[in-house]
Amino acid sequence: MKTIEILVIGGGPAGLCAAISAASLGAKVLIVERDEIPGGQLVKQTHKFFGSEKQYAGDRGIHIGQMLVENAQNDPNIEIWHASTVLSIYEDGVVTVEHEEKHTKVKPEKIIVATGAAENFLGFPGNDMPGVYGAGAVQTLMNVAGVMPAKRVLMIGAGNIGLIVAYQLKQAGVEVAAVIRRSPVIDGYLVHASKIQRAAIPILTRHTILHAYGDGKVEGAVIVKVGEDKKPIPGQEIDIKCDAICLAVGLSPLTELCWQAGCKMAYISELSGHVPIVDDNLETTVKGIYCAGDVSGVEEASSAMVEGRLAGVSAALSLGYGKGAAIGLQKEAQKELRQLRDGPMGNHIRKGLAKMEHNRL
Amino acid sequence: MLDFERGEKIFFSFNGQEIEAYPTETIAAALHAAGVSKLGESPELHRPRGLFCAIGNCSSCFMVVDGKPNMRVCVINVKPGMCVEEQKGKGELNY
Ligand SMILES: Cc1cc2nc3c(=O)[nH]c(=O)nc-3n(C[C@H](O)[C@H](O)[C@H](O)COP(=O)(O)OP(=O)(O)OC[C@H]3O[C@@H](n4cnc5c(N)ncnc54)[C@H](O)[C@@H]3O)c2cc1C
Repeated sequence: MKTIEILVIGGGPAGLCAAISAASLGAKVLIVERDEIPGGQLVKQTHKFFGSEKQYAGDRGIHIGQMLVENAQNDPNIEIWHASTVLSIYEDGVVTVEHEEKHTKVKPEKIIVATGAAENFLGFPGNDMPGVYGAGAVQTLMNVAGVMPAKRVLMIGAGNIGLIVAYQLKQAGVEVAAVIRRSPVIDGYLVHASKIQRAAIPILTRHTILHAYGDGKVEGAVIVKVGEDKKPIPGQEIDIKCDAICLAVGLSPLTELCWQAGCKMAYISELSGHVPIVDDNLETTVKGIYCAGDVSGVEEASSAMVEGRLAGVSAALSLGYGKGAAIGLQKEAQKELRQLRDGPMGNHIRKGLAKMEHNRL
Repeated sequence: MLDFERGEKIFFSFNGQEIEAYPTETIAAALHAAGVSKLGESPELHRPRGLFCAIGNCSSCFMVVDGKPNMRVCVINVKPGMCVEEQKGKGELNY
C-alpha cells in the first residue's frame, strides 16, 4: 500500500492548482488522473479566457493548462500517476486505484476530490448512434488530436460551450448546419453569440431535436419548432442533413466518489446537480476530504483554479504546513472567489452557494 | 492557429486491418482519423456504438485492446503493433 500526505483525485485545473499550492507549502502530493495527459477540460480550449488577470484572462485555456501541467511535473513534492483511475474511497480512508493495469491501494492523510463534471446526455430516438458526441469530445478530437470529427454538424445548445465549439468547428473548416436551443434566449456570452452570427451560422432558438437517423451512423436529424409550452409544433419540422450531432446541454458534477465516501450531498440546480456540501475552506462533511472545481458545482476554469488553490492550502494547513502564511492565502483565495462571482453572470452561482450554506446547518 | 506535434508515424491493427497513427493520439482519435466511427455494439440489441464523452467516463467507446475487453479507447494512446477490435457484447476476461 502506498502512503501519501495528500491525494488529489483528478488532474484538471482544480486538481493541478490544489497540488501546486499544497506542495509549495511543503506537503507531499500524489495526483491521480485517468487521462493519458493531465489538464482536464482546459487542454482542449483554444479560445481566450474571461476573468481577471490573476486567473490568466486573455490567455488561451490550452496554454494555461500546459503551464499548470509543467509546474506540477517540475515540482519535487508532486508525483503524478496518469492513465490511472480512482475507483473507490473506503471507510477506513483507503483509496483504490487502477494504476499500470493493477488494482492498487493508496492510504492518504488528506484527499482532495477534483473530478470535474461530465456532459449531459439528451433523450431522443437515435441518440446512441456513432456520430452523436458531447461537445467536449468534439473539442478533444479537434483541438487535442487535430482530427476532424465530421463534415457537417448540428449543435444542440446555445450556452457558452455550444457557441464556442460551433465557432471552433467553423474555424477548422467543418460546416455547422445550425445551433439550436429549446428556450427563446441564447444564454451564452454575447461575444461568442455574435461571432457565430458573423460566421453566418444560424442560431435557431425555440427549436429542439425530434430524432436522429442514419444507417449505422448519423446521417441527419429532424428538428422542430416548439411553442410557448416547449412542446413541438406539428408541421414545423425541419430535416437537417449532418454527419454529427453535438450535445452541449450542460454538465453534471462527477460526484460518485463523494457519495461513496459518505459526504453529505444536496441537490442544488444552480450548481448543476447533486453536490457535496463544503465549508468555507472547501472541506466536506467527512473530515479530511476536500472538494474543488466543477465537482462541487459546475462553474468555470477560473474559479476551479482558485478553488483548487484554496483546497490545497487548507489540506496542507491541516497537516501542519504553512503556519503563518496559510491563513492569509485562504483569505486571499476566498476574496478572489467572491470577486469572480460578483456581477450578473455570477447570479446563479451565488444563489447556489447560498443554498449550499443553508444545507450546512 | 494550432500546431500539432505528432511525432513519428506508427501502425496498429483494427479488426485485422493495418491503420496508421501517431503515438500522441488516443485509439479513438486514430480510428476517427481513419474514418472509423463505429467502435463496438451494444450488448443486447447490437446497435452500433461510437465515441461520446472522450474523458473516460461514459463507457460508449469500450473496445477489445490486445485481447482485453472494456478498454476505454478515448483515454488510451495507440502503441505500435497494438491489436484493437470492435467489442461485441460485454466482453470476457481470459485470465
Ligand atoms: C467546451 C468548454 C469550454 C469552456 N470554456 C471556458 C471558458 O472560456 N472560461 C472558463 O473559465 N471556463 C470554461 N470552461 C469550463 C472549464 O473548463 C471547467 O470549469 C474546468 O475545467 C473545471 O475544472 P476541474 O478541474 O474542476 O474539472 P476538469 O477540467 O473536468 O478536470 C477533472 C479531471 O479529473 C479527472 N478524473 C475524473 N474522475 C477521475 C477518477 N475517478 N480518477 C482519476 N481522475 C479522474 C478527469 O479525467 C479530468 O482530467 C469550459 C468548459 C468546456 C467543456
